Amino acid sequence: MIQVEALTKRYGSVTAVDGLTFTAPPGTVTGFLGPNGAGKSTTMRMVVGLERPTSGTATVDGRRYADLPAPLRTVGVMLDARSVHPGRTAFRHLRALARTHGIGRARVDEVIGMTGLEKVAGRRAGTFSLGMGQRLGIAGALLGDPGTLILDEPVNGLDPDGVLWVRGLVRGLAAEGRTVLLSSHLMHELALCADRVVVIGRGRLLADAPVQELAEDAGSLEDAYLRLTAGAVEYRGRTAEETGRAATGGAR
Amino acid sequence: MTATTPSSLRTRPTAARTTSHGPTLARVVASEWTKLTSLRSSWWAAALTVAVSAALTYLSAQASSVDPGFDPMGSLTSGVLLAQVPPLVLGVLVGTGEHSTGAFRTTFVAVPRRWPVLAAQTVATATFALLAAVLAVVAAVLALVPSARSRGIPLDLGADGTPRVLGGMVLVLVGTALLGLALGALLRRPVPAVTVAVLVVLVLPVALVLAADLASDPLAASASASVPPAQAAVNTVVTFLPAGAASLLTGEGAVEGAPDLGAWGGGLVLTAWVAVPLALAALRLRTRDVV
Repeated sequence: MIQVEALTKRYGSVTAVDGLTFTAPPGTVTGFLGPNGAGKSTTMRMVVGLERPTSGTATVDGRRYADLPAPLRTVGVMLDARSVHPGRTAFRHLRALARTHGIGRARVDEVIGMTGLEKVAGRRAGTFSLGMGQRLGIAGALLGDPGTLILDEPVNGLDPDGVLWVRGLVRGLAAEGRTVLLSSHLMHELALCADRVVVIGRGRLLADAPVQELAEDAGSLEDAYLRLTAGAVEYRGRTAEETGRAATGGAR
Repeated sequence: MTATTPSSLRTRPTAARTTSHGPTLARVVASEWTKLTSLRSSWWAAALTVAVSAALTYLSAQASSVDPGFDPMGSLTSGVLLAQVPPLVLGVLVGTGEHSTGAFRTTFVAVPRRWPVLAAQTVATATFALLAAVLAVVAAVLALVPSARSRGIPLDLGADGTPRVLGGMVLVLVGTALLGLALGALLRRPVPAVTVAVLVVLVLPVALVLAADLASDPLAASASASVPPAQAAVNTVVTFLPAGAASLLTGEGAVEGAPDLGAWGGGLVLTAWVAVPLALAALRLRTRDVV
């Protein structure tokens, strides 16, 4: 279980995460949603102790991440597919990670099999496509057979086959009673694999509700998301027409 | 769709067992050893250390073998200065490798206390550099054989001070690798770290000595037996650089006008050059976010 309470992160005058409170309960896939720059990744980095909160707390199974006696066996983390040295083979990367917790070679081979990386395990990670990098990241997260998984955009760059596989994987992990926190921009994907969604914008909580409830109220999860984040989008593209109007000096 | 399984069904280790399943220093050392030996660059650095040591020692011995008073042992340490470059780069690559590639996320999520990683990198780098250094010193000795044989001079490795010089050469190469590691871990980006490391180890001592030579009047220097104060000051500074420590360790003695710290003093100077940036890197790791 992941518990985030009044979590705040400031970088100088910029507040990336602002008093965020939510819980990702066990046996559930919790979707984590928000526009670019909303503070999703910052929140995840604080949960796993890479960044220190300015105030507030984040705990896994009631403990601060830094106080976990065997982090890999408690929390599986995939934050970024580029969290690997490009000069190291996938096998050696996982082997080195496993050795920090005394996890044997058999389990390394097992997660390589689970993620379908057998054929490329001997290749250097720098030669991997984004999708293969994602699989390697997921393999690393599964290594310690953890009760909690934190996956940042796991389906990014995966082929349809891979997307389907991740969907089945996270559903299966939650069905075993594990906690899964998963961020994604793909609304249809979350509608299919998440039980609950936590929506944030500009570092603040906008919604924390079951997927069905949100989707029913607004027609679809996508509509619900767009309505919730309407005032919290940091970066918005404009149509050609809008750009032309802006150039001639006309206000909206 | 919330499927909850009773927690008793889940294969979760008990608290007592979890402790023994976490990251211990020995495990992190094993992990860092796997990391270091799984990069091609490490093996290239080791091979180059041996090759540079052998080639330069051979050339130096061949060049001076025509001198009437040729002593092959006099060429023993001639390759050390440049053979330091590959271990230096090796250390920098280990120290910066995590941060420059994003691999630090994986590493520090597995070892949230962070400092054991730096300690393990130090152990792994020292061990790997030690193996390379021993081979490089053996190569240097073997490189003396042709010129010694051509003049019919036997190589006596047991002669006074020689074992100490051999040991000193190994220590210099290992210390240089650790200096690279420390600077790399502190600066985190490979290009600035290599630049600073090469400046400190190679460029600065040479530049200082040349500058002192320019500033002093050569005629005055040769007329009086004593070293001019400006040059003595420069030499004192050089003594406290890694290069000065290296020459003390390899038995070349103190530069003139500088305090003679002896081999132990040289070892301490080199240790300080490793320990200070390493401590600063550990402090930065401990107190700052890793992003």
